Amino acid sequence: MSSFFKSRSAQITVLIVSFLLVFVPYFIPWGPLDWLSGKLMTIAAVTNAFTIVIAVYSQFRRSGRFINERRKGWVYHIYLLALMAIMTLSGFIFGQHAGAYEWLLLAVVTPLSSVIYGILAFYMSSAGARAFRARSPQSALLLIAGFVVLMYQAPLTGAFFPGIEGAATYLTDTFGMSVSRMFSISVSIGAIVLGVRMLTGKEVAFLGFGEGDE
Amino acid sequence: MNRMSDEGGIYKKMATYDKRWVYLALFAIVLYSLIRPIGMPIGISAQTKAYKTELDTLQEGDLVFSTWNMEFSGYMELKPGVLATHKIFIEKGVKLCIAFGHFEGVALPPEIFKQLKKWTDDYDYTEGEDYVIIGYVFPNEAAVAALAQDFHANVRVDWKGQSIEGTFLDEIQNAGDFDMISDYTTGLATTNLINHVVLQYGVPMVVNSIGVSVPGHLANLDAGLITALLASTRGGAELEFLINSPGPGLKSMDAFTFGHYSLIIFIIIGNIGHYGWTRRSGARERTGIR
Amino acid sequence: MTNALFTLPGFAEGRLIGLLLLILIFVLAINFMGSAKVPYIRRVPALDAIEDAVGRSTEMGKPVVCSYGCGGFDYWTIAGLSILGYVAKICAETDTRLIVPTGGSASSYIVREAAVDLVRNAYTAAGRPEAFNEDDMPFLSGEQYAYTPGYVGILVRERPGTMVMTGSHWSEAMNLAEMANAVGAVTITAGCYTSNMAALACASDYIMLGEEQPAAGAYLSRDPAQMASIRVQDIYKFIAIGTILVGLIAVNLGSDIINRLLAT
Repeated sequence: MSSFFKSRSAQITVLIVSFLLVFVPYFIPWGPLDWLSGKLMTIAAVTNAFTIVIAVYSQFRRSGRFINERRKGWVYHIYLLALMAIMTLSGFIFGQHAGAYEWLLLAVVTPLSSVIYGILAFYMSSAGARAFRARSPQSALLLIAGFVVLMYQAPLTGAFFPGIEGAATYLTDTFGMSVSRMFSISVSIGAIVLGVRMLTGKEVAFLGFGEGDE
Repeated sequence: MNRMSDEGGIYKKMATYDKRWVYLALFAIVLYSLIRPIGMPIGISAQTKAYKTELDTLQEGDLVFSTWNMEFSGYMELKPGVLATHKIFIEKGVKLCIAFGHFEGVALPPEIFKQLKKWTDDYDYTEGEDYVIIGYVFPNEAAVAALAQDFHANVRVDWKGQSIEGTFLDEIQNAGDFDMISDYTTGLATTNLINHVVLQYGVPMVVNSIGVSVPGHLANLDAGLITALLASTRGGAELEFLINSPGPGLKSMDAFTFGHYSLIIFIIIGNIGHYGWTRRSGARERTGIR
Repeated sequence: MTNALFTLPGFAEGRLIGLLLLILIFVLAINFMGSAKVPYIRRVPALDAIEDAVGRSTEMGKPVVCSYGCGGFDYWTIAGLSILGYVAKICAETDTRLIVPTGGSASSYIVREAAVDLVRNAYTAAGRPEAFNEDDMPFLSGEQYAYTPGYVGILVRERPGTMVMTGSHWSEAMNLAEMANAVGAVTITAGCYTSNMAALACASDYIMLGEEQPAAGAYLSRDPAQMASIRVQDIYKFIAIGTILVGLIAVNLGSDIINRLLAT
């Protein structure tokens, strides 16, 4: 029985039924179908939430192996598991609105994640500064456009040269926007065709199957 | 190639500067400007004016779904816009249903409402009566779609576990009952909200987005999928200026200005170096300098 | 909102043309896949480079790092998984160590299980099931900015010869690409939104743009039926260009007929 549910054809059948239950009510609103679609969405949302347990279990198992076999860096896995336990227990025991959990979140997690996010600005600046070189007439044009938009992005420029907003907006709203649109249109069409390949069982990597797997 | 590098001199140094100089200069300039702002003037963009105009269409008692689709890190960038927009909501007396799209969101209400305390006190704006925090909503497509289709099947209690029955949320059956979506986003569930609330029910949606996602949202704005866009910290600062309530945004604008100018200077230095070096060696097309 | 040209009873307003266009895509795609005539498909340098880049890693005795994104089951992730399957197959055949950092968002938990199955199946299909090591598919975190330093740590410690970063990588993509660049890895990336693409193009050796990523599964499979489906994308792009041009002319002549037709 379990092998039937793991089979490619069973999973694609579930995929097609789910697709129809979500797809059809969008175009043809009909009470019972809407209800069924809503229930399916709720089931999917709840199922998704439960997958966190699998992820945590998988991390514990991996770290456990590292520690058991004393592999390189095993001490860090003890540290990792201890932090996971502290964070989880403080949430379970004291609740998410109590001092301990909130302190861990505000004093440890958020500054650390903010730092990683902040570093992004440095990477983007250095990559941008290195990439903007007038190597050819085309890249010179790109450089000029980039210069105008960057100048406009500096808040002071607009206060002294109000005209720069028009120039920068023209560049972003015509050239930038057309690229963005092209991207959206081509990606959307690509995504729909990918969907057709999934529904017809041609593209099955997302189900964990490789070529020729049944 | 060796001969060329010998010939490079100062131009070569300018063309191939170590990227750590960019990091150092940017860090020093931004830090100094944040510690010692001088309050330089700023220009107000038409985009921010349009955002303010869109918020002005709200009436007292309107229901707004305020979706905090941001991590704490993203909040640091969006803070001016979040505070300024919510000041407008409180002043107008709209009813707010607040949801987070990230688990760190649980730390946001204490922080945000601490900043808004003067406004909530002045306008007697209270939790449960004027605003309800429904807490974390899984930011994936299925969860957002489920919430949009049948609100009460998915939300029965607020973020503190108290029943939402008897609050203004009783009026909400599906997402179409909201008068506006006000989204603050690092990209978590915004597309899902567009797909399942805007397209499905035609609810107007305004977005306050981090800078890196603004170009993508501009296309949504132009296509009418969102009705107004507030761009990053700068948009927040402009909104602070428009509502005459200076805050963290306006304070950081000097750092914004000098940060951008320093990047422009590095680009100019790199190009002068590139031009001088490749011209001297006479082999510009063969250098492959990045 | 533009007024629809007409409405059909029982049918959601403003969605008829959309449905007809979708049905047409389905019909055309299934028809082309049935005929399995391989159309001309331009080369996609980033996809073509994968095999060489993995080969380089093999020769250098270095691992390959491949990730399929941080998102849930959206089309970027699905495309990323197709590419991961391809990379896993080459790594299994050439006995190259493959490291797949997983996680990155609350939606990513469920994808991980499919990815583990996919890589395991690739090793089994190559006749080397014993070479599959689940420890090389660490779940780093469900939090984006905890996942990022975890991933950067892998790049710095393992010094891979190649990094293939596809699927929906968001702001962390730049940190990862710059770091891969710094450790000397061949960096093959795919941008999943406009600003991301612009930044990644500066930091990558090869980048997939626009629809190249959703089409990657078909392109890499070399299966005539799948490749034939890509033709539909071109047909629809021509329809889109035609509609834009006709709409442009109509609007300038004072008619909003195309707007109203598309709002039907």
